[in-house]
Amino acid sequence: MNIRSIILGLVLGLPAVGLLIFGPRGRPDVPPDRTVIRYWEKWTGVEGAAMQRIVDRFNATVGAAHGFWVDYQALGDVDKRMLIAAAGGDPPDVAGLPDRFVPPYADQGALRPLDDLADEFGLDLDAFKPIWLDICRFDGKLYALPSTPYTIALYYNRKLFRDAGLDPARPPQTTAELNEYARRLTRVEVNDPQDPGDDRIVQLGFTVSPAMLGWWHWVWPYFFDGPLWDGRHFTLDTPATHAALAWIRDLRSALGNERVLQFEGTAGAIESAQNPFLSGRLAMVFQGPWLANWARVYAPDLDYGVAPFPSVSPERPHVFASMDVLVIPTGARRPREAMIFLTYVLRQEVMEELCQAHGKVSPYRVPQPDFFAHHPNPHIRLFDELAASPHAFGYPKMPTWAEAWTETLYLLETVLRGVRDPDEAIRATQAKVDRVVADYERMAAQRRQHSDSIIGGPPRGGSP
Amino acid sequence: MRSGRQSLLTGLLWTAPWWLGFLLLLAGPMALSLYISFCDYPLLQPPVFVGGANYKQLVGDPVFHKAVANTVVYAALAIPLGTVFAVLLAVLLNRRVRGQALFRACVFVPTIVPLVAAGLVWMWLLNPEYGLLNTGLRALGLDQPPLWLESPRWAMVSLILVSLWFLGSPVMIYLAGLQEIPEELYEAATLDGASATRRFWHVTLPCLSPVILFNVVIGIITAWQVFALPFVMWRTRPGPDRATYFYTMYLFDNAFNYLKMGYASAMAWVQLLIILALTALVFVVSRRTVHYRGV
Repeated sequence: MNIRSIILGLVLGLPAVGLLIFGPRGRPDVPPDRTVIRYWEKWTGVEGAAMQRIVDRFNATVGAAHGFWVDYQALGDVDKRMLIAAAGGDPPDVAGLPDRFVPPYADQGALRPLDDLADEFGLDLDAFKPIWLDICRFDGKLYALPSTPYTIALYYNRKLFRDAGLDPARPPQTTAELNEYARRLTRVEVNDPQDPGDDRIVQLGFTVSPAMLGWWHWVWPYFFDGPLWDGRHFTLDTPATHAALAWIRDLRSALGNERVLQFEGTAGAIESAQNPFLSGRLAMVFQGPWLANWARVYAPDLDYGVAPFPSVSPERPHVFASMDVLVIPTGARRPREAMIFLTYVLRQEVMEELCQAHGKVSPYRVPQPDFFAHHPNPHIRLFDELAASPHAFGYPKMPTWAEAWTETLYLLETVLRGVRDPDEAIRATQAKVDRVVADYERMAAQRRQHSDSIIGGPPRGGSP
Repeated sequence: MRSGRQSLLTGLLWTAPWWLGFLLLLAGPMALSLYISFCDYPLLQPPVFVGGANYKQLVGDPVFHKAVANTVVYAALAIPLGTVFAVLLAVLLNRRVRGQALFRACVFVPTIVPLVAAGLVWMWLLNPEYGLLNTGLRALGLDQPPLWLESPRWAMVSLILVSLWFLGSPVMIYLAGLQEIPEELYEAATLDGASATRRFWHVTLPCLSPVILFNVVIGIITAWQVFALPFVMWRTRPGPDRATYFYTMYLFDNAFNYLKMGYASAMAWVQLLIILALTALVFVVSRRTVHYRGV
């Protein structure tokens, strides 16, 4: 053996020995006789801690009895990671996703249908409010289970209502009334009476801008009786969308579009003292039950009320409902063990403990009395009642929703800025999304046609 | 013959960590992405060959055109501006003054701040109501300072301003280049009566030109891959009127949001070709302007 071989041996061998001695070990907190169930979630901070408490309790009780150990991992972009892991053949056993990913992922075969497991494990699906169960279904199959749901309502500042001569006990009932209230609640500071261009808004009644807490830029046609998806077609170019954009533009014209844009540019994050609603600069906002958590921290003296968001007609009160869901990805190694964990999490007292900690509503038809009594949001009963509305709607169940979402955002932003004519912009967006949907369906049909000759692809809605 | 083969095997064995990594982690995935660029591939279904459809679609895609235009504008403004500022800063930092090390550290420190943290800080600095920049502009008498991030007109300017914050690395490279310039060239120029400005134009810049070429090429590559800063500063939105929607952001959206891996792969290959073409162009143009000592 020459000196070169010895050096080569050392160079290659020493790191290997080092890895053996000092390298990674099995998780010391996992008891050696347990089977690990991998659970990927997006929650960190307070929300993650609440789920971790439930996981710990499962591991100490049901998990110990069955010999399982749930390993909770909080990950950023959990949807993308789960998809890539599923494509690589090594997905987690359970994943927590926002509900809008159910249709595209189910249609791509990334999610395991859960109907058989739900039957086998005796899950009482009728115990959930219909809207939550509907969100979990795609193409007639159950692909997800409810996790932490929410509805969106109108928060309004009662003090600003009083200051503007409005009755805080009577929030706006229709979209037209909302605009009227917003006009009265807006205050403009006049810097130079000779130069109106120098005026600035110091208090805004309401805005739908994506730049200012307007996270759901696409929902407005629904409040004018116009859903965006009929199960096969994207239905944007309808009288409802035209009416919704006209409603938005009417208010902005009345308040001065440039001034509104200037005001919106100042928005701070929701979880900050610069949140314009919490700082008293925005009188009304379309938001979810979690806003109460930030109000408690950043504006404990804020006098606010919550009401259903007005629709064009008070006879058809539309409600946007959404939630996080729990899924078992296609190819998960331990779907049955995962289902035992999910069954535990879906016990009413466990799920409601989680929803309370997250500031959300309960997915159950009849929440336990303690749920309302100890909930951090004093208005949670209203949010819960909204979920039972026959006019509640969720994200459009389009497999191509991500692209439609981007296009509708561009539509709203350009119309708000006056860059495009609304009618022309709606037509162009409709045409663009129609092309996207048609391309997707053409390829899906082609793929189904040739599926026999292609090796290695899971079937649509594939089983594990 | 036998010893030649043995040498080859030994050489391959010693270089195995590189070529194995190259084959498995670079050449293999690149070849696969080239194939996928001719397919419809939503990641979880098998790829279906569609020929040049993805490339054809790029030609007629207005969002792609917008992303290309934004990237070209960004590169055309950020690279020259960054080069001028970096060279000037390097020249200043090369002067022997008290506190020289401190000044150099001040210029370099921003480059070690993570992009996400820097993006968040700049969001606050550019906030139209509470931001330091607009507060300063108002103090100077400007009643309606720009809506930096929310105005289609100013969004790109904001991003280019922020990109200048990260000049530390090129400045350090220029500084190293400046220190390589022989002192006798300056002495000779001074003896010939050249002013400081003429010494800069006729000694410093020609001697620094290979370093400028290097930084410009790196700048082109970086500009065509700009992603993290706009992604953070516009909170994953494409900016007002898509004003800060760049090539790599659209590529990312196609790959991971729209699950169009084939289309994204086609974009990646077009991006590679554009960068190669621009780099080649820079090298051709630089033949007459870049001076290599001893050549």
